[in-house]
Amino acid sequence: MTAKTKDGKEFYSEEKIFMPIPQQMGRGDKMGRGPYEKSGLIRDTSIPPLRTLKEEFTIPVYTEGEKDGKILRNIIANDFIVDVEVWYLPYGKKDDPGNAQKWFATSKTLRIEKGGK
Amino acid sequence: MIFYKKIFTVFVLVCLLDYSGTVFSETTDSVPIVTKTTESSSEPKAKTIAELAARYDSAPCMDCHMNVYDEWEKSLHARSIFGPEKVGRTAATFKTFIENGLKEWPYSGVKTPEDVQIKHLMLCAKCHLPQLQEAEESVAKELVETIYAYVDDPDDEEAKEALESLNIGCMVCHNRNAITHKWTDGTPEKGVVYGSKDDVHMDDKHPFLKKSPIMKESIQCGQCHGLGPNFELENPTQCATLYGIHLYTYIPDGGQETCQECHMRKSGLGHNIQSYRAQEMVKMALDVHVEAKAYQWRDVTTTTPEAHVIVELTNKAGHAIPDG
Repeated sequence: MTAKTKDGKEFYSEEKIFMPIPQQMGRGDKMGRGPYEKSGLIRDTSIPPLRTLKEEFTIPVYTEGEKDGKILRNIIANDFIVDVEVWYLPYGKKDDPGNAQKWFATSKTLRIEKGGK
Repeated sequence: MIFYKKIFTVFVLVCLLDYSGTVFSETTDSVPIVTKTTESSSEPKAKTIAELAARYDSAPCMDCHMNVYDEWEKSLHARSIFGPEKVGRTAATFKTFIENGLKEWPYSGVKTPEDVQIKHLMLCAKCHLPQLQEAEESVAKELVETIYAYVDDPDDEEAKEALESLNIGCMVCHNRNAITHKWTDGTPEKGVVYGSKDDVHMDDKHPFLKKSPIMKESIQCGQCHGLGPNFELENPTQCATLYGIHLYTYIPDGGQETCQECHMRKSGLGHNIQSYRAQEMVKMALDVHVEAKAYQWRDVTTTTPEAHVIVELTNKAGHAIPDG
């Protein structure tokens, strides 16, 4: 997930990883390096069948400063765009040829009101 | 006396050999163990990749089953040793398995790639090429050489072609792996194509059709897309966990679909059995719902502009996403 201003300046980026984390040779605290080392699970954050996972993100839309001993939070942009993407990344990096698959993408345009007290 | 006993045993076995090559032997409680002459066991082991590929070549099936062949050819089953088209990731992982696994493990008996035997490759080949069990050690050597040749030089077309000739073709699912319970249903027979009915089959090499008891069941796929660590191996590995999750999570939650129901029928992909790389499957398997709102909250005199985003991911598949 990213948040960016209308002119494309990114000010927030966060990702969540959903996957079974296989245990190396069925022992210890390390993840296996390849399928030949997988023989257990250390942790599993994959999405279970017939279940809904709800993920919540709080995006700070400010930079922080101080004036006269008071904390000031200055709005980065009143209008900004939040992009949410879901990718399948079977191994390596997103830009490895033939590797990553984009499963879902959406953009939400959000607005923080000007003025007021 | 022992000599006569051996002769008698051989005589009894010969008498019990029926016309189809079925051998009956008796156990102590008089329940016969039936061992049929299979497609594979009746032939000498393959000595080369070409021989093994020819034995399981799906091309002859294309004459009558063109559509099915075209579907299958697009699937990863059609390149189970090479891996995804143009990428060759599976072949690369075989090399990594040898370099980072077999060569590093002190008791594997492998110090160099030349030491790799069939039993070593079966850690991966159990599913990626189960018919490798029907090959001599010369095929293991040739396969390792070919994998290294391709991975070290992806422009090596000869190596690529050889790797792509090995696959999970028609006769792996429709003969070799068509029966899981051999004491119950017998061993897959030579010349038989297992499918949805008993009938004749217009092919000289495979003149019979037989109904497979599991062809439409998840267990057919579960043989490879499995349960977790394969403890029958000397060095267990759990490349696949799908069938385990299907059995122990999906079914208890009330799931009723079989693998084939979603991956073949509802997807409309037939024998182009796809998973995470196909948009058709992704649409069927995953719902994503996003809500977002911006606001300002305050703590006495400090105003904080924030946005709250909720992402809901619903897995409609018969297994976890992803698995592994």
